[in-house]
Amino acid sequence: MLRSLYRSTAIRLIAPLGLAFLVFLLLAGFAAYLLIQGELDGRMRQQLEQTFAVITQSYAESDLTDLTELVRSHAAANPRDQRVFFLRDGNGLKLAGNIDQAPGGTGWSVVPGAALGLDADDSYQIYSGSAADTELTVGASFEESDAVGAIVRNILGLAGLAFTVLVVIAGLLIAVRGQRRINGIASTMDRVGRGELASRIPLRANHDDLDDLSVQINQALDRLASLVEGMRQVSVDIAHDLKTPLNRLSFTVQNAIDDDEAGKPIAGLLQQAQEESRQINTTFNALLRIAQIESGARRARFKPIAIEPVLETLFDAYEEVAREQEQELVFNAAPLPHIIGDRDLLTQMFANLIENAIRHCPRGTRITLASVVEPDKAFSITVSDTGPGIPAAERDRVFQRLYRLDKSRSTPGHGLGLSLVKAIADLHGASIDIGDNNPGLRIAVRFVAQLAMSAAP
Amino acid sequence: MRILFVEDDARTADYVKRGLTEAGHVADVIADGRDALVHGMAERFDVMVVDRMLPGLDGLSLVKAFRASGNTTPVLFLTAVGGVDDRVDGLEAGGDDYLVKPFAFSELLARLNALARRPPPTTEKTKLQVADLEIDLIRHSCRRGTMAIDLLPREFALLTYLMQNENRVLTRTMLLERVWDFHFDPQTSVVETHISRLRAKIDKPFAKPLLHTIRSTGYSLHA
Repeated sequence: MLRSLYRSTAIRLIAPLGLAFLVFLLLAGFAAYLLIQGELDGRMRQQLEQTFAVITQSYAESDLTDLTELVRSHAAANPRDQRVFFLRDGNGLKLAGNIDQAPGGTGWSVVPGAALGLDADDSYQIYSGSAADTELTVGASFEESDAVGAIVRNILGLAGLAFTVLVVIAGLLIAVRGQRRINGIASTMDRVGRGELASRIPLRANHDDLDDLSVQINQALDRLASLVEGMRQVSVDIAHDLKTPLNRLSFTVQNAIDDDEAGKPIAGLLQQAQEESRQINTTFNALLRIAQIESGARRARFKPIAIEPVLETLFDAYEEVAREQEQELVFNAAPLPHIIGDRDLLTQMFANLIENAIRHCPRGTRITLASVVEPDKAFSITVSDTGPGIPAAERDRVFQRLYRLDKSRSTPGHGLGLSLVKAIADLHGASIDIGDNNPGLRIAVRFVAQLAMSAAP
Repeated sequence: MRILFVEDDARTADYVKRGLTEAGHVADVIADGRDALVHGMAERFDVMVVDRMLPGLDGLSLVKAFRASGNTTPVLFLTAVGGVDDRVDGLEAGGDDYLVKPFAFSELLARLNALARRPPPTTEKTKLQVADLEIDLIRHSCRRGTMAIDLLPREFALLTYLMQNENRVLTRTMLLERVWDFHFDPQTSVVETHISRLRAKIDKPFAKPLLHTIRSTGYSLHA
């Protein structure tokens, strides 16, 4: 857990950021400390200068006794560990003051406490100068500004500490939270990888970036699951629907072998075997073709095509086929825009729809091939019949591969026609609507306006 | 007719060679693409049958090499690579026809016959005649003996293709591709229906039938 936390993005972002902020805070604090210290020292010098001036001026108006008195009263009013006063005569003898010695000289100097006969740990700022034949020294301990400095330092230290603690806690919280969600994503992907395709990343309703990412991953998983389910379904269907004809073929060949041994003619059985293997091939080819179409590779060959000649050719080809079944094929054409697509595939799609109607409808059925242009320039091509139709409950399932209505199992066909239709329509961005023709079935392939417009010459 | 058959699957090669020999043709079978290129350049053949996937040199490159060298011998691709795109690639590479495995031998034979004797496009006739049946490609008219026959456009196209290939067998698939431009296997009897309608017009009123059904293969027009 610690290791994974250390590696988490949140920590990696927060740690250098927090550190940089802390360094900045300390630098800024130190600068402020120096400024405050300087300001305090300056003010103290001012005070000392004033005090010195006041004392020496009093001497000019009066005599030495006054000066000595004034120093004495100043010295009595201030504890010597804060303010020091020292007055001596020309011979160096102490006249007044709260300390017993002072270094000589004129002007400012900083001296240790020992030089003033005081506690060696403190240091003092002193100003010395002469007043007639005496020498006056006033000074102040750094204790005051040191105390202020200590307060500033403490505040800085506390702020830095509080900040550090806060950053660490916030970082850990964010990292743990993010890590938990990332762990959630990772464990979901892990479950998916192990075959639990129904697993999805749990979402929070806060729509953050991780949530968006999770939604996208979940959508990808949905598609993946449906693809895998599709493939699984096909395998099952192939196993189911090809097993029967393969068995039949095997029986036919066995019969031919038996008949041959018995000296009977076997040409009929061989022909039957040939027809059966042809059917199996047709089914396989249709499956491969659907897979190829669904892969979308054929889109590379799309070009603008006129759809009306395609419909006319189909009508021309199937009108007579329908008549032979004592059905009627009618064509209601409307002028259609060009569409971008694959002519061969579109031909096959509409051929499949017409052939389905011819094969699954009884005599006397009227099959109508029609094109309808909608006001918004979308258009539909419909194949409708007056036959038995498909129960509403089964309409969605007819597009599944190898799905056949139970009652149509006895008629020829491999059950792939409508999946092929669906695959071709999907490739062209067209939608398929299965409806009721009252009575009968009505299948509409609807091409959207956008596609129709962009393809218009 | 002399046929170069480039095929690396020994069983298919045996099967086809046997059939071609029985039909009176001479077939040279070569399994390697590079050997086929050398052999095809060195000798003259009436038609070549080429598999797409070959050792040495693949079929597409082989045919491209032939064409680049000026060789115009008709080529039929015979291959399991059967998507429409592959078909287009094959024809664009210089192939003349394409047959997808698994195939019926009769289909292969019919296509080879049509390929080998396909007349050069420049000598296309405008009038065709088989026995007493005549069509005029420019006026779109048809007559048999003294009787004018009214044909629908598609029937005319169907008859034209059959007459251009007099005496040759045209398979159901060939008719679908040529006459309707259908590149799929219909689940209904489109071809049969139209043949029978054509037959009703050009044969039924007359004593001698010209349009013959070749069982499990296709159709042929001859006297």
